[in-house]
Amino acid sequence: MSEPANAPPLLGAFSESWRSSTARLILAYGALFAAWSIVLIGAISWETARYLENLVDQILQQRVHFLASVDRTRLPELLAATTALDLRGVMSFGLFDADRRYILGEIDQIPGELPVDGVVHALPHGIQRVSGDRGSRTRGVALQRSDGLVLLLARDYGTVDRVGAIIRGSLVWAMSLTLIPGLLGGFLLARGPLRRVRGIEAAIQPIMRGDLRARLPISTRRDELDMLAAIVNRMLDQVERLLGEVKGVSDSIAHDLRTPLTRLRAQLYRLQRDSLSGESGALLLERCLGETDALLDRFRALLRISELEDLHRRSGFRAVDLADIVRRAHELYAPLAEDKALGFSLQISPLPAVQADADLLFEAVTNLVSNAIKFTPAGGQISLRTTVGAHGAQIEISDSGPGIARGEREAVLQRFYRTQQGQQRSGFGLGLSIVAAIVKLHGFRLEIGSNEPSGARMTIHCSPAAA
Amino acid sequence: MARILTIEDDAVTAGEIIAELKIHGNQVDYVASGGEGLRKALAGNYDAITLDRMLPELDGLTLIMRLREAGVRTPVLMISALSDVDERIRGLRAGGDDYMTKPFAPDEMAARIEVLLRREPQTQETVLRVADLELDLMARSARRAGAPVELLPLEFKLLDYLMRHSGQVLTRTMIFEAVWGYRFDPGTNVIDVHMARLRRKVDAGREPSMIRTVRGCGYVLGEQP
Repeated sequence: MSEPANAPPLLGAFSESWRSSTARLILAYGALFAAWSIVLIGAISWETARYLENLVDQILQQRVHFLASVDRTRLPELLAATTALDLRGVMSFGLFDADRRYILGEIDQIPGELPVDGVVHALPHGIQRVSGDRGSRTRGVALQRSDGLVLLLARDYGTVDRVGAIIRGSLVWAMSLTLIPGLLGGFLLARGPLRRVRGIEAAIQPIMRGDLRARLPISTRRDELDMLAAIVNRMLDQVERLLGEVKGVSDSIAHDLRTPLTRLRAQLYRLQRDSLSGESGALLLERCLGETDALLDRFRALLRISELEDLHRRSGFRAVDLADIVRRAHELYAPLAEDKALGFSLQISPLPAVQADADLLFEAVTNLVSNAIKFTPAGGQISLRTTVGAHGAQIEISDSGPGIARGEREAVLQRFYRTQQGQQRSGFGLGLSIVAAIVKLHGFRLEIGSNEPSGARMTIHCSPAAA
Repeated sequence: MARILTIEDDAVTAGEIIAELKIHGNQVDYVASGGEGLRKALAGNYDAITLDRMLPELDGLTLIMRLREAGVRTPVLMISALSDVDERIRGLRAGGDDYMTKPFAPDEMAARIEVLLRREPQTQETVLRVADLELDLMARSARRAGAPVELLPLEFKLLDYLMRHSGQVLTRTMIFEAVWGYRFDPGTNVIDVHMARLRRKVDAGREPSMIRTVRGCGYVLGEQP
């Protein structure tokens, strides 16, 4: 029921404004301010009332004692003067004989609750006057003179109340003058960010619909909302890149696997149609198996890459002798290089031990060597060597093949990418991705460079990348 | 004829394993659950067991540990969907003799079972002999029909492995694993090149070759049948 969607638009916007954080802050602050003002004004008004009360009491006391001491003949005159002097007419008196009978004055009766003791008492219900007016709260004092006459002085206490009322009035004014513009301003202030949140929401709609190129608007203010939007935009950049990669991968997988699958299908179809048997049938079956194995190899490599990318363990890392790894890789691939009439040299310089997973590092090195052999034309030269660079041990594989163009160096690390020259050969796409994944897992760095005068030079920098 | 127990809860995989093992002339018993598998493995006198890593009731690791605790030494080939290196190590530590990850090629599985079946206790022999081929493990030398064969250290290791498993089909993966000690795919032709060189040296022009290529699968060392 309180859903903004069900509320009328204006009211909805209004109630929404008040839900924003600015509005909440202003409301809370306003409430605190009001409470504090009330406490403050209350204290002031209480103090003032007490002070005025004291003053009234003192005046009454002085007067009554003065009147008690004057000569009886002067009394009516002085009493009249007392009231006449009192501009506001809040003072009234009554004179009674020893038997409490009325002689003169505005008050013709001594109230029962007022003892005749010369002390000021509060008369909360006022006092009955001759004029019939009772007045409001009153303080009064009654005193019996030495000649038996009873004097009664009363002073209306309303002044104090009026002062209190003025103070309270000022409170109301102050509050309305600060709170109303404050709340109004808060409402307007809250609307600004809300409008921007609306803008962000609108900008996000296309992203939620799948258009990952859209970004959140950033104003020139550089405030918190802009900071947040900038963070979200950076995240979107990353998401876009990753999704692009995923799309690229599935595209290339589809392209890469279609060819061998089509070939496989064609061969199977031939087998079925011609019901080949004997030597030719066996040969065809053999080729089908070969195609399937190649396909399975692709899948295995793909799975291997994602497995490596998931690996976060460093627990398997030990001190590894790079020279040994390189020697083994050379040993494994030397015959293959020789068969392709390639020179394959091995150069090992003394190296510090490196913390690594020996098996994975070997896999990386053999992948690079295997690539070098695959892409270097017959008669070429491949060299595998370990060196100590500025940042520690390095493994370097260089060949005299076509090399990797500068612009393609980033891309070759991605799954299934093949260089223009490598288009015809198989297996290039995944090898480098596996190497990249292994190198990344170790926190090492793979550098793709060029060899002089031609060819590729791949370097694994075996020192943890500077964090 | 060898008696093999297949413990596998996936019916399709089980069917494949059984069919392949039968082609190779084995008698196969099949159970789908861990508990039943353990009972059979303890009671029946099997020559080898294929064991799925993840099973209902009792998982493969526990099963094999119970089996070994009970003193049953039947060779076990573990077949698992978990390809992680750590999983493999765990499987072998628990008492498995070999470990394969799914999906697998049936012929590779059969080759591995064959190796397990023919596994002999480590011999103290210092000279291996297959027909007229001799490998002297002490002197680290090889002779074919009395004539010395010059081998590089790696080739020696390779021949050693082939001769210990003469007459058995050895896949490239198995060879790479046993001789080089790595478990990844180095690309088929790398092993082929090494085998070709070894073959050239061992045969020295003789026909037929001592080392036979099994199409689409691997190699066998031994006299031609």
